[in-house]
Amino acid sequence: MDKKILIVDDEAHIRMLIGQTLEELEDEGVEFLTADNGASALELIQTEKPHLVFLDVMMPRMNGMDVCQKVKKELAIEDVYIILLTAKGQELDRQRGQEVGADVYMTKPFDPEVLLSKAKQVLQLD
Amino acid sequence: MSKISLRQLLGKNKELNSFLLQLAKELGIEVWIEDMGENVVMGTPTGSSLFSYPITSNEENVGWVKGDKKGELIAGLLSQLVRKEAEKKSLGSEVLNLYQEINVIFNFSEKLSQTIEADGIAQITLDQAMHSIPSDSGIMVLWDNEKGQLQVPATSGKVLFDPERIRDNSSLLLRIGLSGQSEIINDISILKEKGIVRENVESLMYAAMKVKHRIMGAIILAATNTEQFAAAHLKLLVTLALQSSGAIESARLFESNIREVKEREEAILKIHEATKKFVPNEFIRSLGKEAITDVRLGDQVEKVVTVLFTDIRDFTSISERMTPEENFHFVSSFNARLGPIIRSHNGFINQYLGDSIMAIFPNSADDALSAAVRMQKEVHEFNRERTAAGLEPIKAGIGMHTGSLIMGITGDNFRMDAATISDTVNTASRLESLTKHYIADILLSDASLLQIDKSRVHLRYLGLVQLKGKQEPIHVYECFSGNHSSDIAGKEKTLSLFNEAIGHYLTSDFENSVRAFELVTELNPGDHTAKFFLSSATKYLSKGVPENWNGAIEMLIK
Repeated sequence: MDKKILIVDDEAHIRMLIGQTLEELEDEGVEFLTADNGASALELIQTEKPHLVFLDVMMPRMNGMDVCQKVKKELAIEDVYIILLTAKGQELDRQRGQEVGADVYMTKPFDPEVLLSKAKQVLQLD
Repeated sequence: MSKISLRQLLGKNKELNSFLLQLAKELGIEVWIEDMGENVVMGTPTGSSLFSYPITSNEENVGWVKGDKKGELIAGLLSQLVRKEAEKKSLGSEVLNLYQEINVIFNFSEKLSQTIEADGIAQITLDQAMHSIPSDSGIMVLWDNEKGQLQVPATSGKVLFDPERIRDNSSLLLRIGLSGQSEIINDISILKEKGIVRENVESLMYAAMKVKHRIMGAIILAATNTEQFAAAHLKLLVTLALQSSGAIESARLFESNIREVKEREEAILKIHEATKKFVPNEFIRSLGKEAITDVRLGDQVEKVVTVLFTDIRDFTSISERMTPEENFHFVSSFNARLGPIIRSHNGFINQYLGDSIMAIFPNSADDALSAAVRMQKEVHEFNRERTAAGLEPIKAGIGMHTGSLIMGITGDNFRMDAATISDTVNTASRLESLTKHYIADILLSDASLLQIDKSRVHLRYLGLVQLKGKQEPIHVYECFSGNHSSDIAGKEKTLSLFNEAIGHYLTSDFENSVRAFELVTELNPGDHTAKFFLSSATKYLSKGVPENWNGAIEMLIK
């Protein structure tokens, strides 16, 4: 089955940068989806069932933590790997991230090399 | 410009796809689109590829629109779209590079804040540079002002630099780098000549490290291929150099400050140690102070202690026969022998007064007496050496008394001294001078006797003595444990007889007193103290005692 990656961030440049970083995965048939808020993200996760989700924490209206909680704990959707993104200096969220069931925790600015290798690993494309 | 895949462009964008199809239908055009590999990416081939129009982006052909003459319009439209997409990708790629740089700088700042040690910072900086920039070897050079040459605090990667040659060629390298410009250098023949870099190095990248416009050093990376370094790499290296310069300068200042502080502390400690030798530490401690610097005019404390005086008998006549230098030598060697004895018996020397020593024993008179006995033995030893060297032997008298004493700091703000003021001191001093009258080696008062373990020493009661200017007489005792063994034996033998004689003396029974003292002197002819009492008793026997006589020997001179 074709792999899907969902990128959720209210900042356009982050969506673009993550997409740019993972560009080469397009050749492997990976499909990219984006969302700029938590509500749309939740909907997309339920309808499209992406294998990997990059989820920004700090978003208006519905933040990443709540989305993660809903997906992992309440709806208990399986086979969705969630990577939470947060700004440097907000590392206290790490604890909370574990509580809501996030799989991985990354700080922004992120290291593109690390992001790419992690994505490959999760999608088993390495 | 990045390669645009037509398939991706049309495949990704379903809206574009359906729009094109609809547009084609409305315009009555039947076309299909192929990529360069002759794969159909949209539409259905209908056979005739007579009409074929290229889809291009920046003179690059990425696909074909085939099937209809009007397909040219579609081709034109798609070319525009492809070009826009290519531009977007290119921009995105550049932004990603910048983002990577930001990430590096962020991480580097974090690492810098974790160490305050100059060499550590140098290594972290170099490691970061080597990690982020494709290079074969790297070094950091820093100018050492003290040594007047370049130092190499950090290296990384393959060994392509020679640190020793760098140090030796400090001035040449300074000239090259003095402009302060950071750059990529490809003509490095002179550096190879001097052996500073290996033969296989093709180019160097150098970023100056500056602090307030002063060049303090540089980060240098080496590549074994040409064209390995790009402008973007130089930009990053310059950024790292900038960040680390300030950090290293601060670290160095910090380190030199610490050194200075340590040196000062050592100097102060030395001064403290030295002052202890001039004003006894015990004195300062008794005042409740830690160091001489804490002492204030008027500080004082009252304590019950034992004061001990020792004096060299007939010193004036001995010193007359010596030169000033011999005199100094003599007194010095005498003091040097007695000092350690006093200290090892829990006492301290309060003052040296010419040939006399005043010592204080804060704990107990027992310490003082043990010290006194040991000191007399030391004098015998001293005399053995003197006789062997053809010099005359000396005699020393020791007197001690126990009582309260005020130790304090007296004087004025510009000249202070440690002073001990009390009657106890006077009494001890006078007891010491009494030794020449009684012809006894060690005299002590009853106040001192109270603190002594009598079983361990030889003692004789010598009656009462009236010190000049005092109301009440005090009891005096002689300790003869420090005398020559023959003397000790003699006095022990006649001890009870002597005690009897003293008893008669004090009760004014001079007839019996004289008789007993005569017997003592017969049995022990060397007992000069007995002879002293004999003559006194004889005098009172014939002349009688004055009115209100209390039995005390009167000290008419201080």
